[in-house]
Amino acid sequence: MSHLERVEEALNAIRRSNLNAYITVDYSEARKQAEKADAGQLDGRLAGVPVAIKDAISTKGLRTTCASKTLERYVPPYDAFVISKLKQEGAVIIGKTNMDEFSMGTSTETSYFGPSRNPWDIERVPGGSSGGSAAAVTAYEADLALGSDTGGSIRCPASFCGVVGLKPTYGRVSRSGLVSYGNSLEQIGPLARTVRECALLFEVIAGHDPGDSTSVAVPVPDCTASLENEISGLKVGIPLDFFGEGVDPEVQTATWNAIQTLEDLGVSSEEISLPNLQYALSAYYVQAMSEASSNLARYCGIIYGHRIQKDHDWHTTFSENRSIGFGNEVKRRILLGTYALSAGYYDKYYIKALKARELIRRDFKRAFERCDALIAPTMPHTAFKIGEKIEDPLALYKVDINTVPINIANIPSLSIPCGWKGKLPIGMQIIGDMWAESTIFNIGFQFELNTEFNSA
Amino acid sequence: MITKTEVERIASLACVQLDDEELNQFTIQLNSILEYFDKLAEIETELEEERQRNVVRPDDVTKSLTQAEALANAPRVENGYFRGPRIL
Repeated sequence: MSHLERVEEALNAIRRSNLNAYITVDYSEARKQAEKADAGQLDGRLAGVPVAIKDAISTKGLRTTCASKTLERYVPPYDAFVISKLKQEGAVIIGKTNMDEFSMGTSTETSYFGPSRNPWDIERVPGGSSGGSAAAVTAYEADLALGSDTGGSIRCPASFCGVVGLKPTYGRVSRSGLVSYGNSLEQIGPLARTVRECALLFEVIAGHDPGDSTSVAVPVPDCTASLENEISGLKVGIPLDFFGEGVDPEVQTATWNAIQTLEDLGVSSEEISLPNLQYALSAYYVQAMSEASSNLARYCGIIYGHRIQKDHDWHTTFSENRSIGFGNEVKRRILLGTYALSAGYYDKYYIKALKARELIRRDFKRAFERCDALIAPTMPHTAFKIGEKIEDPLALYKVDINTVPINIANIPSLSIPCGWKGKLPIGMQIIGDMWAESTIFNIGFQFELNTEFNSA
Repeated sequence: MITKTEVERIASLACVQLDDEELNQFTIQLNSILEYFDKLAEIETELEEERQRNVVRPDDVTKSLTQAEALANAPRVENGYFRGPRIL
């Protein structure tokens, strides 16, 4: 198949689709790049491969909305660092995928452009916030996708859609050009239908960027080369705190069966406890919201963004621009963050959240002194129905219980399919120590090789 | 317990205008969320939160956006400037 045929297949799948996975599709540029690949003018590890990009990542000349009304017409004047890397490797950027507004959500329902749908059951959510990216890859509307993960936003939709997604170590991938939400927690990461493709995309986007002072100059491991390594002799920890009463019994069973599969491959296992995990959800939300209230202060409607027709005084104009430009979940998080940072509450919420973060980080550090990786359910249950949780923000936050601890601890985690509940996929996380992406890809690949849960 | 008046004050600090319905709904929702966050009060530790470290780079002049690029997304522009609301 030629590159153009491959890209046309994805474009046709998008055109026929009812998933609302994309906000913007770049038909003509995608075809042009594919033709260039066919003419041998593009080379690199991703030459001619159609890649979908979460609409929170800046693409030069291609509208980047963050699924918000305020950025409905925003066209970035530069590429994110990861986009430059993709282009260097010959990737074809096929379009920008739907998401929760400013990545704030777990279902892709808070998008200004309407919810995306789960390819396995269109009445259900694809997960979020990178729901469009996961749905697109699942339904062959792209071969690979980028998402971003602040508290589970890659792993949740990977789990709900039955694909593979990685949240890299904090500092591994440049955030330059990623629209900021919770900047001390978030990373851009890959989504794909197989572990190998996911590892390849990770290798392409990882690496130090002088333009992001939080990206770290450590060598990027050759993850794809070590996929075939034997995993016999490795030891995985089973953090029982991730198997709480809120976790669907069928999800628990699938995860325990997966651990058995790994044991059959020569891996040993040990039950462990992370006692401070009980504070993770509160600590995560306090910190993410505090950072959001500061990061989103820039959307005043003067330099870019939604602007009301008639100006009043500065304060009223800013407030009206923001009130029309932002959806309810974004407003809620800005308010809560502003409150948590305000005089009299800073110590009670923000400082306590930072202390909890340090305690949780130490819990994980102790675990990795004994174990090579940890295995846990990614989500407490399978994909829920559209509209089922959106009216109750706290209930929706609690769905993130197993994903947020990873962001708090800055460590990497790979979500891969490990079972089915009826027609809905179940995902598990393979959690690694700082910079240990190649270990978790290796375990994930060997699991995938020896099971048949992968839908691809 | 956060009152409606406090939510209004916070909204004004955050430059987010709320109508009456939003104000009522947010007050209820923020209370249930903050009640959940109270779990953090249990934490008794002398542990210092993680220290942040400054990362600096040489202050080299590199290519930046042109004036036209910088203004391209602005809703209102006048004589090569961003046009803001009146001050007086």
